[in-house]
Amino acid sequence: MCKCSCSWNFTADRLLLPVLLFLLRLKPAHGYELIQKLAQLDLLEGEVDPATVYRNLRRMEQEALVVSSWEATGTGPARRKYTLTSRGEELLDECMLAVRRQKEKLEKFIRLYENECRPDLQGGESCLPQG
Amino acid sequence: MSRISFRILHAGALRRPMGECSRVFKERYPDLPVELESAGSRECAARIFSGGIYDVVALADTAVFASWLVPDYVDNYYVFATDQMVVAFDRYSRGSGKITGDNWMDVLLSPGVIYGRSDHNLDPCGYRTLMVWQLAEKFYGRPGLYKTLKDRCSRIYPKSIDLAGALVEGRVEYAFLYSSVARQLGLCQVNLPSRINLSSPALAGYYATASVTLEGRKPGERVLLTGAPIEFAVAVPRNARYPVEARWLVEFITGAEGQQILENCGLIPC
Repeated sequence: MCKCSCSWNFTADRLLLPVLLFLLRLKPAHGYELIQKLAQLDLLEGEVDPATVYRNLRRMEQEALVVSSWEATGTGPARRKYTLTSRGEELLDECMLAVRRQKEKLEKFIRLYENECRPDLQGGESCLPQG
Repeated sequence: MSRISFRILHAGALRRPMGECSRVFKERYPDLPVELESAGSRECAARIFSGGIYDVVALADTAVFASWLVPDYVDNYYVFATDQMVVAFDRYSRGSGKITGDNWMDVLLSPGVIYGRSDHNLDPCGYRTLMVWQLAEKFYGRPGLYKTLKDRCSRIYPKSIDLAGALVEGRVEYAFLYSSVARQLGLCQVNLPSRINLSSPALAGYYATASVTLEGRKPGERVLLTGAPIEFAVAVPRNARYPVEARWLVEFITGAEGQQILENCGLIPC
């Protein structure tokens, strides 16, 4: 769990928030464009659900992680464009700390599995706690 | 002397959300009479094109704004919601007990089953239905499916809400509708795969492989429209009689309270 007041906790299916924060840290974007980029990145489990993305963006705005404004492009439609706030930047940094911690735990678990269940893969000694 | 009405023109599929938003508008402007008028979105555009004066126009496709109304009648139009195409039915529809996202076409093409769509020349839900059928032919690897579904579709209604009404009344057994409309009317629905339901911007390139030829703005004119993710948009026409009040309504629809109304109506605010 993050140390901040947010309720974000890492699991593979909850990467959406940090990935959205990351994309918006690179540059402001509207939901349509973010959905396309999420699909290209292929970081999430399963298909990108537009309803989930739009709902998350609205919630992020309510929590002051992003602000939105309308952007019109030529004769095309105006879409709501989201910009990351300083609070959103801080949350991204905190999310990434949690991601790294989870990565270390997952790697440790993989090593345990390989040592204890598949020694043919590693050939190493047991790293389970003794006793 | 009575005041001229504040006039809202909207896609039939937006009847419930626009009705609820207009109720809030009437509370804000109690002295201003409000008229709501609905039609298929292309028909809505044709009414403006032929001189109709409206204060707010909400349509089911940004392409209708782009091809009919911008820049002569509308300066800016705002995307406020999205949706997906579904196959709607009720429990009395023949085959309703076995229909799924994989076999819907076989159920619809069973002997005696009646299914309908809206008119592609009047209503985006109509041309989106034809696009869904084209994409389905490719997605399911069933050559000829598009033509078969088109040829066997015996009921065509001016706008999707009329089609939904026909389904409620039992005049058709299956209908290609927006998910939000099916939900509003308490109908059953089969969700279609995202590659054919026109819901995802991530698949915009794939959707664009489908196309439908439509009647243009002028008699005899034909235009080719390619598939795209569903987007609803709203605008204040340039000749609105009440531009200040109209902008308030657009800001309400696209604001937090309006988004909640849209979501309650099954739309996806964006």
